[in-house]
Amino acid sequence: MAETKEKSLSDEKPKPRVRPIVRLGIFLISHSFHVSVVCCTAGVLALFLLPVLAKNTYISENALMPGSASPMLSNQHVSDGNRLVKDLTNPNSKSSETGIESHKIIAQYMLDLGAEVSFHKFHPQMNQFHPLHFFSSPDSGKIQENYSCSSYGINTVGIIRAPHGDGKEAIVLVTPYNALKSGFGEALSLGIAYSVFSLLTQVTWLAKDIIWLVADSQYGEYAAVAAWLREYQTPKFSSLSTPNAEMCPDVNNLFELKGHSISGSKFSNSFRRAGTMASALVLKVRDQNEQFEDTISIYAEASNGQMPNLDLINVVNYLAVHRQGLRVNVEKLWSLLNSSWLKSLGEIFESLAKVAKSLYPKWKFGIPATEYVEGTATLASSLYYQALGVPTGPHGAFRDYQVDAITLEISPKFSLDKVWRNDILLRGGRLIEGVIRSVNNLLEKFHQSFFLYLLTSPSKFVSVGVYMIAFAFLIAPLPMVAASLYVDANSSSNCSKGDSSTPSAITDTDEHSIAIRSWRWLNSAKLVFIVHLWGAIVSLLPYFISQIPDCSPTTSFMIWVLLSILSLLTLNSVLASPLACAKATQEKEWALVKSVTISSVFIGLGLMSVINFATAEIGALLMVPMCLLAQPLKLDVRAGTLRSFCRMICNLVLGHIAFPPAALFLLKGMLDGFGNANVGDFWMWVESLWAWNSATYLFIGMVQLPCWVLCISILFHTC
Amino acid sequence: MEKVKKKIGSFSFWNWVTASIIFRLILIYFPKNLNLSSRPEVSTPLTSFRRLAEGYWLKQSFMSPYAGSMYHGSPLLLSLLGPLTINRIEGQPNHLLYSLVSVIADVVSAMLIRATGQNLRLAYLRSLESLDLVKQIEVSGDIAALIYLCNPFTIVACVGLSTSPIENMAVILCLYGACSRLIPLAAFGWVIATHLSLYPAILIIPVIFLLGCGPDSPPRKLFLQRHQQKEVLNQSKLPPRFSWGPVIHFAFWAFLWSVYVLVLCGISLKQFGGLWEMFKSTYGFILTVEDLSPNIGVLWYFFAEVFEFFRNFFLIVFHVNILFMILPLAIRLRHRPCYLAFVYVAICSMLKSYPSVGDSALYLGLLGWFVNELADMQFSLFLFCGYVGVSLLSPVMHNLWIWRGTGNANFYFATAMVYACLQIVLVVEGVSAMLNHDRKLRNLITGKPQDAKS
Repeated sequence: MAETKEKSLSDEKPKPRVRPIVRLGIFLISHSFHVSVVCCTAGVLALFLLPVLAKNTYISENALMPGSASPMLSNQHVSDGNRLVKDLTNPNSKSSETGIESHKIIAQYMLDLGAEVSFHKFHPQMNQFHPLHFFSSPDSGKIQENYSCSSYGINTVGIIRAPHGDGKEAIVLVTPYNALKSGFGEALSLGIAYSVFSLLTQVTWLAKDIIWLVADSQYGEYAAVAAWLREYQTPKFSSLSTPNAEMCPDVNNLFELKGHSISGSKFSNSFRRAGTMASALVLKVRDQNEQFEDTISIYAEASNGQMPNLDLINVVNYLAVHRQGLRVNVEKLWSLLNSSWLKSLGEIFESLAKVAKSLYPKWKFGIPATEYVEGTATLASSLYYQALGVPTGPHGAFRDYQVDAITLEISPKFSLDKVWRNDILLRGGRLIEGVIRSVNNLLEKFHQSFFLYLLTSPSKFVSVGVYMIAFAFLIAPLPMVAASLYVDANSSSNCSKGDSSTPSAITDTDEHSIAIRSWRWLNSAKLVFIVHLWGAIVSLLPYFISQIPDCSPTTSFMIWVLLSILSLLTLNSVLASPLACAKATQEKEWALVKSVTISSVFIGLGLMSVINFATAEIGALLMVPMCLLAQPLKLDVRAGTLRSFCRMICNLVLGHIAFPPAALFLLKGMLDGFGNANVGDFWMWVESLWAWNSATYLFIGMVQLPCWVLCISILFHTC
Repeated sequence: MEKVKKKIGSFSFWNWVTASIIFRLILIYFPKNLNLSSRPEVSTPLTSFRRLAEGYWLKQSFMSPYAGSMYHGSPLLLSLLGPLTINRIEGQPNHLLYSLVSVIADVVSAMLIRATGQNLRLAYLRSLESLDLVKQIEVSGDIAALIYLCNPFTIVACVGLSTSPIENMAVILCLYGACSRLIPLAAFGWVIATHLSLYPAILIIPVIFLLGCGPDSPPRKLFLQRHQQKEVLNQSKLPPRFSWGPVIHFAFWAFLWSVYVLVLCGISLKQFGGLWEMFKSTYGFILTVEDLSPNIGVLWYFFAEVFEFFRNFFLIVFHVNILFMILPLAIRLRHRPCYLAFVYVAICSMLKSYPSVGDSALYLGLLGWFVNELADMQFSLFLFCGYVGVSLLSPVMHNLWIWRGTGNANFYFATAMVYACLQIVLVVEGVSAMLNHDRKLRNLITGKPQDAKS
């Protein structure tokens, strides 16, 4: 911003004494081309350097003390867990259509341990269009009118009250379970959770309540957890939906049976609560096993690229690797692992590090090329999932209520015969026990470690202070170029008029030109504003299109495109008509338009980098070159030099790539091959974005698309 | 904000007024979705509608409206607007009546701004004529009124159910009365504005100048120089000297109105501790910065951090800051009282203890009066982008701090500081542009070539 300030100073005639900082600003603005080339290159380079700059994770919160106590989970608990697994996989339990039997079994087991048990019934919420939702506080949700008895889910909730706690805090353990078609993995995850649960009813060190949520995943794991959380955190006082659900005969049946079969006083029909949640763990066991050793995958990305506190991942990683001997995995983009250019880049960095080390032995920043490639693949997937803004698992629902949560997915090595099953129950159970014991030690909520970071491996991370540098380099040229264009456009009009205007001859026309000179950008600002308004309209259109029944994605997409073009034309004819007459008087109109466009892109990218860094980074990679290079094609054709020819080619290529659907098409093509790409894909992708309240949707609609339109209009400007 | 300026050519003034009213009415029908009335940018402890409703409720149940440190406004507002917090129309949004009152207040303010702008333009034309500088100048009244009506800040303050539209109206009423020499009206506006939000008290200086020597004109020196050149001293063409008559008249009316207001307040607070209670929990609350909940100003953060035993010292420092600027500005800009009023309002909205976007709306609207003089203002694009950027970034930072928990108070305060800096740049650039304009007029008269400064 400082540059903008100085550019107007440079506008004046040279003063005898110019302050150094002003001189620096003038220097930067006058050399904005070189500066922007250097900055953009540095930005891209810094992005590729991130895996090298990643630091090892460390446990920042002292109170956690992971692994300091020896695990108490014994074979007794494991055999308890095994019993539950057997009962659940027993074909007799699957007799009921709604899978109520297995819920009853689980509830009975919980009651036998002395836990408080309750059922939570929910209706899966339909996907709604609320793109601004990420921005507002979580609410209790809209009450839908037409519930049908056929579609509801039952979560089984067991709560252990801590003997030493005051009941103000709780730790949540979630196991998704689909009673209708459960695989063996889901039953095993319940077994692990049960063995830990049975241990926790006996221990004396528990200071926080333990909630075990068996989430009914027949309508998706996320929906079940989100429904339970919504009920837990924002109770509905109107209670309109509860009687609705209880009118269904099946549910009543469930309660009656319970009342008969269970004499325990700890069963309750009402919704049970414990204290505020300190953290949550979602536990899953995968059925297939393609790994060569026992691995555990960590999924951490919640909606809009929010991450849980790094300490939670650190604790899991530490305990899994150093105590239980499990291999820890985080998501990778597998296609990047085999790319040769990345490998050679890694080798270059490695050899550079060697040279640096030979020059000065204390410089140790190199990492081996293979590690670099893996780090980059992990970083790319971390960026991708954060940018998408769609949570990677049920843990995402917790982050909306500021609860740190991750999903652990255990993939066992061998086929699940008896011995291996016991082993995985023991090790998984001890891992969960260790994590719960660590979190149990917490005095406050997680706050010591990072919330804003990117993972390059389970034990390495790039913090916000490092990755912001790459982004800052990338967007630094924007204000500079905007300022220099603005100064150019202003000074050119100054030169043409300033000489002729003798002081006495300030007539009304000249006065008018002065008024125009200082506020000339208003016209361009109006154009930019109109295009952004159009962007907002385009982002709202899918709400109406999605109301049309029986529409295939391709037709919806076509309707969307048609309506968008129509609205652009309408807006242009209604609001922008004065532009045409103003254009004749302003010879460097396009420069001003470009300047204002770049300013708006700068604001948009800066804003997005705060909301969701990864989206802003990817968007900046696409938009910054396009904005900076945009120049009327006519001028380039007229100039006819090699440089202008290159710029023209770049402009045309970028103009195609940066169009959002085209960018998605390319990305999909690179990941899965171009064969099965379809026009409707973009519509489906966008639908998933708004259904998950992703801010990326708004970014595409209100920053990237308008920017693309403005750049195209600059390219085809008739000057 | 200033975007409106160019659009006037193609659209008539009244179309835009209607459009802005319709836009407000549409927004009023979505109060739940926007939830503007709970935003810290819109409702401060002084302007919050919910606090007003609470105060009214307390008063209805025969308790002091100031009990519990919830309400800090005037007791007159309680009697006037309080019933609107309860009255509802079936099937309509809850606070429709109050919203309609704010819309009407906005429209009235805009009309007053327009009338004042026309007054100023006439005066400016007259003084240019007497300097023999014929110019075509923009219709600043319309522009200012449209900037005020179409400014997103005004719209947000109006739809967000804050009391700032009414406070702004009082300030504008005072300036209008002074410009059109309706002395009782000016005194009424000044007394009410001061009563409602205390800071407009310093507007007494521009009002005195306005009443004493008339609206904005080039410096008096210029007229003398011009006539020396012509070697005929035509007294009738000179601007009038300072006359004390209207000022004394104004003082009398101001005294009358303040006694009236105080008596009314005293009657309405008779059982609840009387006037002293009112002074303590309105002006005392403003001056001692008791409420440290975050807002777009800079004082809350500072006083949350400062040690308790330095608190009084810094309270004095911060408030004297405003007073320090009064005198130099009054001397330098005494020939342009309306501009002086704009500068004062801008400075107050920067340094006041509980600022809201409604205050910015007021001074941005007043800025529209001076489009002719400020045509050469520097950094206009920078300021515009800054305002847009800050007003988008500030809610995001608030969300990051309060709802997501990944940010902290520093994030939000950073935007507040940037906002304060923007206002400083606006004031500094505005004043220097105005002085440059005067300098240019002088050069035109004396026939000197334009030097680098113009």
